[in-house]
Amino acid sequence: MLKKSWKFGTREVVYAAIGAALYAVLSLATNWIQLPSAGNVSFRPAIVIPMFFGVVFGPIVGFIAGFLGNIISDLIAGYGFWFWWDLGNGVIGLVPGLIAVWMTTYNSFKDIVWGEVFSTIGVLVGMGIASISEMWVSGADMSTVIFANYLPAIIPDLINGLILLPILMIAYAAIVKRSGR
Amino acid sequence: MNNLPLVIENLTFQYRRRSEPAIEKINFSLQPGQVMLIAGSSGCGKTTLMRCINGLIPHSYQGEMSGDIRLFGESVVGMGLSTISQTVGTLLQDPERQILGSYVLNEVAFGLESLGISREEITPRVERALARLGIQHLRDRETFGTSGGEKQKIALAGVLAMEPRILLLDEPLASLDPASAQEALQAFRMLADEGIAVMIVEHRVEDVLSIHPDIFMYLDDGKMTYLGGTEGLMDVVDYRRIKLPARVVLERARQDPAPVFIPAIRPEVKTETLVQFEGVHFRYNEDGPEVLKNLNFNINAGDVIAILGHNGSGKTTMVKHTLGLLKPTEGRVLLEGLETRKMTVAQAAHTVGYVFQSPSQMLFAPTVREELSFGPKNLEFTEDIITQNVEWAIDTVNLKSEMEMPPLALSFGQQKRISIAAILAMRSRILMMDEPTAGQDYWNYQAFMDAILQMPGFDAVLFITHDVDLAVIYANRILLVYNGEIAADGKPQEVLKDEKLLRSCRVLPTSLLKLNMEYLPQTGRFYRAETLAHLQS
Amino acid sequence: MLVTWRYRLRNGLMEKFDPRARWIFSLAFLFAVTLFWDARFLAFFFIIAFAWYFSSRAKWKETRRGWYLIGFILFMMIVINTIITGGGAGGVVPPGGHLVWAQGGTIPLVGWQFHFGLTWERLWFAICQLLRIGAISAIFLIIPYTMDPRVYGVTFRGLGLPDRFAYSMELAFRYVPTLARDFGTTLDAQRARGYEIERVKGGIIKQIVRIAPLIVPVTMNSILTGEDVTNAMDLRCFGTRPRTWLQKLTFHWQDYALIAFSIILLGGGIITLYAFHLGNFWVPEFWLRLAGG
Repeated sequence: MLKKSWKFGTREVVYAAIGAALYAVLSLATNWIQLPSAGNVSFRPAIVIPMFFGVVFGPIVGFIAGFLGNIISDLIAGYGFWFWWDLGNGVIGLVPGLIAVWMTTYNSFKDIVWGEVFSTIGVLVGMGIASISEMWVSGADMSTVIFANYLPAIIPDLINGLILLPILMIAYAAIVKRSGR
Repeated sequence: MNNLPLVIENLTFQYRRRSEPAIEKINFSLQPGQVMLIAGSSGCGKTTLMRCINGLIPHSYQGEMSGDIRLFGESVVGMGLSTISQTVGTLLQDPERQILGSYVLNEVAFGLESLGISREEITPRVERALARLGIQHLRDRETFGTSGGEKQKIALAGVLAMEPRILLLDEPLASLDPASAQEALQAFRMLADEGIAVMIVEHRVEDVLSIHPDIFMYLDDGKMTYLGGTEGLMDVVDYRRIKLPARVVLERARQDPAPVFIPAIRPEVKTETLVQFEGVHFRYNEDGPEVLKNLNFNINAGDVIAILGHNGSGKTTMVKHTLGLLKPTEGRVLLEGLETRKMTVAQAAHTVGYVFQSPSQMLFAPTVREELSFGPKNLEFTEDIITQNVEWAIDTVNLKSEMEMPPLALSFGQQKRISIAAILAMRSRILMMDEPTAGQDYWNYQAFMDAILQMPGFDAVLFITHDVDLAVIYANRILLVYNGEIAADGKPQEVLKDEKLLRSCRVLPTSLLKLNMEYLPQTGRFYRAETLAHLQS
Repeated sequence: MLVTWRYRLRNGLMEKFDPRARWIFSLAFLFAVTLFWDARFLAFFFIIAFAWYFSSRAKWKETRRGWYLIGFILFMMIVINTIITGGGAGGVVPPGGHLVWAQGGTIPLVGWQFHFGLTWERLWFAICQLLRIGAISAIFLIIPYTMDPRVYGVTFRGLGLPDRFAYSMELAFRYVPTLARDFGTTLDAQRARGYEIERVKGGIIKQIVRIAPLIVPVTMNSILTGEDVTNAMDLRCFGTRPRTWLQKLTFHWQDYALIAFSIILLGGGIITLYAFHLGNFWVPEFWLRLAGG
């Protein structure tokens, strides 16, 4: 079971690449969409991609989708390279990937709840790593990191991700039946 | 005899999750330099047969396999995918998906890189593969920006670089315009003449016949119902399932009852102008080339328009202007008298219903019912009207039984019908379709086009197509587009009779068109071959 | 077009280096600069970083969006850190010091006590932060403008990543323009059905759910595409043997020089800090004199 979860064959190479490209494209494409009435929560639907690719294709694919996807989107936007934040986004895909082998139908209540729980953990841990790195890189103290980095990162990630993940899982349940593998 | 490139004996395969075999008791062999054509409708087992030969079965797809496949005398059982791949080259259906490199050079080199061949050896082999197809000039281009025909040649070069002796081509013509398709076919013939055994799976049988395949196989429901020369095929194959030359259809259809087709739109009632293009020019960005050049025409109630033109001629760009998805750089487009610049796309959708080419680009809802309500809801129809429209739309495409199913779980053909129904439910006045028949087999798309054009509810229909026959059979007006300009606009019999004009626009006349030209003095308009068969007697 | 790479050939100094050498330099620089809080050392790094940055010949017009974003985050962090929470990094700034301004009080309604105290030391620390983050930003911001996207795969292969991971990277870059185009097509297809993304209605959940008609088809389509891509790769022997990478990277003398410089920078930094105890937080005399102390 565990061995299968960490497999990285051709299929995983492809889905890691597609997940990363998709994450980058969706991040860039939704940058310009403003949600005035949503208060301070920024619109960040792309964050669901690493979670979803993790849940479906396992931890490595989820990790690369988030890690590489964040690198690429920063490259295209011209923001440079921010290793710790890339890593944090990778963890957002990795943690839900840990339960990929236990997924059966993708649209059952149980599967969705597990997906949501692990995605939440992924966000809390991943953004935690990224935020704490700022103490070391930028020299900010703990409370600054929490208010200036951690909370502004986790709130939109959780809201956007947890709303969209079940929608994608249900849609995926419909197409998975058509594959002959 | 034992060392033929490909020998298949008694091959049967059943996928892991299916209860029936996908192919059963297939027997045939292929000699060097032969071209084999395999035809059959969707789901007949063509793809499965190919996967058995190229090793994807059993390496990537699991199931129960019996019988034997021998490549140059050696059984494939126990052969690794990389060993098979160096003998059998496969061109998948969609070159867009097959292309793995960002640059042509990397794409063509991919297989050789995977095999760990040295750099010094790869470069000349890549150059040779490109030269074989006459595309050396593309070497340093980005793959993303190339045209459909070029993409296919690039993908083919990538396969040829591995120097296969058997070539499998999965519906290689599906995404090509007629002129590119002819070029591709010539290339396949050339490769066969160089000694490669070529196996083409295609339902555009008529097109492939032009390069004179040596063997023909007809697959029906996983069983081989015909294997032999192309002459015999004309008698065994159901002309309603596989597209045969029009003259053959004419002969064969005489024995059957005449088809009934009553278009719902009558050209006689040209009372109202729905869309006006006035001096429309368009470019995607300021310093880009002009994609549309001074277009002037109207779409009137009663029109059934076929837009014909080569890949990249500007057909889709033009249609996007009617809905305001694109706004002209110069000139204007009027929709029921109102300029598209002054309205939103949602407002324009009340007049124009536009069905995109691929249903998978738009289907998203968890049930068909929600999918169909999406458009009318956006247009802010009342609940009652929405329910009524959705019921009507699903009845029209004949999929009522799937109402509570997820659209993504349906077959491609059903999805295509759902994508049309989703537009129907908006009750727009004009129906526009981009390549409505793409990806469907002959039987399905004819049934589908017949159904749409017999369905009441539209004031005009417009479709973009590569398929000249579709224009011949269904349109009452043709817009011939070439390089962003309208090369001709008129009745089918007027526009299509000028063979020189068609060829100059990279549109090729078909056997059905030629047949119709012969009958034109008697008939005065174009018909499908089945109808001609009965008119004449 | 939604997606365009920032990279183009600029004939700047850094393009003369092997991308692997550049990554080694950038990472060594990052680790080296984060050793120090002494403004004199940080100024040294700051100058190197911006000399490197300006040698790229990237124009302000191109990079300004990135700088605005970094500027905004930096501003937020420094303001909160210096004025409101008043910490300094993990005890770098010693407690106490010379007060600039203090404010205490009670928040109405909830009755929480608060106390702000801004010191000259903390202001100096803010300047150090500015130098440090500015230097790091300059080094890393310039990468997308000066590194050809098609060499990422082979670069990371060259830095020791396994073939499969490196190729995954290569493939991701290949699919970016394709997926961007697919996204545009789906957006158009849904707009033709009256969908208006910019129209805001309902609460936050409803607004996020409204993205489903875009995100679902694009994602599911790309998953279906992936099946074919996997087949295409398997059919061309992917992963069966160690891969040849057609693009060849070779180190030249200038790359060895850059790597040597990186080692000196990082190694020298470590020795300076841990052996000689130089480079810790330090407030200059004149600054404290300004404070009147």
